[in-house]
Amino acid sequence: MMIGKGIEDINVRIPDDAFNVSNYEPTFNVYLTAVVRDSEGRIIKVHRQRSRSPTANFIALFLPLSYFTSNNASATITNATGGTYSFSQALGSSGISIPYPNSNSSGNEPSYFLMIQVGSGSQPDPYSAYSLAAPISNGSGAGQLVYGNITLPTSIMLHGNTAYFYITQTYNNMSGGTVTITEVGIIVYLKLANYINTEVYNVGNTLIWYDVLSSPISVPNAGSVTIYYTFAVNP
Amino acid sequence: MVASDLVSEEDITKLIVPDDLSNEQPTLTAYIEAKVYDKEGHIIRYHRQPMRSPTQWLLALMAIPIIQTFQGPSTYQAVSFLVNVLGLPSQQSTYSPPQYCCNGANILWDFSIVLGSGTQGFSPTLNSLAAPIANGSGAGQLSYGSVSVTYSGTTIYTYVTVINYSPTTINVTEIGLEGIIYIQFQNTNNAYQNATYNYLLTYDTFSPAIVLPPGAIATFKIALTFLG
Repeated sequence: MMIGKGIEDINVRIPDDAFNVSNYEPTFNVYLTAVVRDSEGRIIKVHRQRSRSPTANFIALFLPLSYFTSNNASATITNATGGTYSFSQALGSSGISIPYPNSNSSGNEPSYFLMIQVGSGSQPDPYSAYSLAAPISNGSGAGQLVYGNITLPTSIMLHGNTAYFYITQTYNNMSGGTVTITEVGIIVYLKLANYINTEVYNVGNTLIWYDVLSSPISVPNAGSVTIYYTFAVNP
Repeated sequence: MVASDLVSEEDITKLIVPDDLSNEQPTLTAYIEAKVYDKEGHIIRYHRQPMRSPTQWLLALMAIPIIQTFQGPSTYQAVSFLVNVLGLPSQQSTYSPPQYCCNGANILWDFSIVLGSGTQGFSPTLNSLAAPIANGSGAGQLSYGSVSVTYSGTTIYTYVTVINYSPTTINVTEIGLEGIIYIQFQNTNNAYQNATYNYLLTYDTFSPAIVLPPGAIATFKIALTFLG
């Protein structure tokens, strides 16, 4: 059948039926779970919601090589203090990307997961966020939380066609009062470099994922909260 | 919500991979598009469908920007996830210069689109198509053009154009987005090298098949859109 004309715009818009709001295909979802415990260790609240927001930093870091090479393009990372770093990937010494651990002890530029940061503010455009609106400091003073151990995934778990991993961190409230969390984000300590390290961008703390909680979480004095970020395909 | 105390890993799993949240737009939506032109350049088929089947490898690739590569600021070993799941080295062997110096390694990845003429049941651990269509001009082969990638806001588009130079009709019944990880480094002979690792990131089938008669040109596109 000859179709020919009439679909000239198909490259410039996303088809409506690919995003049918009543019938999403389950592809990739992220969940945010917070388990709050009182001073006795008893669970007093479980908060669950869809996590909605990879930041522009995440997408810039996820872009494939062909984006850079086929468009002669660069991407920009904004660190948590608002500093910007443009980079372009390539095969060879001109390409800037995430460093990888190697056997030359003087040639390592560590780029690593830093924390799930919690905060007491909010902001309307998570995609463009580069820091939490009001980060809660690590400590035992008023309004602070003691940031505990991080558990990073070591494998992917399978359940039928669902594959997932999660990242978790626990925070203890030793402030003497209730601390309320309204926003959460994933922060990495980022470096970008070419493989011979003649160009190294010490980007620093970088917000990769950000969520405003659908309802505030109150952590009682002497209590704790454990936050889980779960990343799943085919949930 | 107030829950009774958690007693097992199974309980945690029920909480952290919930199945009772509302049917909101997923964090990632994706679709596949195919346009087929006859040898005179007329469009003879336009098809699009939701992309339904990301594999665990897509999940693993997306983990790299999130968990990064090093275990910590002074631990020069890869996070175990990269070793256990993606099979990457815990430490890339590199040339160590005789004097204190700098060369190291970095990681990047690329996308490609692979086409096939078979079908198979989906599994999140799939790593190849059932019957990949080879690059060439012989019977049953397609000539693959170079992959291009564009990016607009929160959507990444990957394209490939193929031409059927063979004398027979070719039916494309399966499509995958392939990921190729590169680790670049200076090898022990002090020469540039990259190590490559291939993964099937998504797997979908066409029903009915995308039919390419002799001389036909087809463009396949996979769009990944993140919530922003």
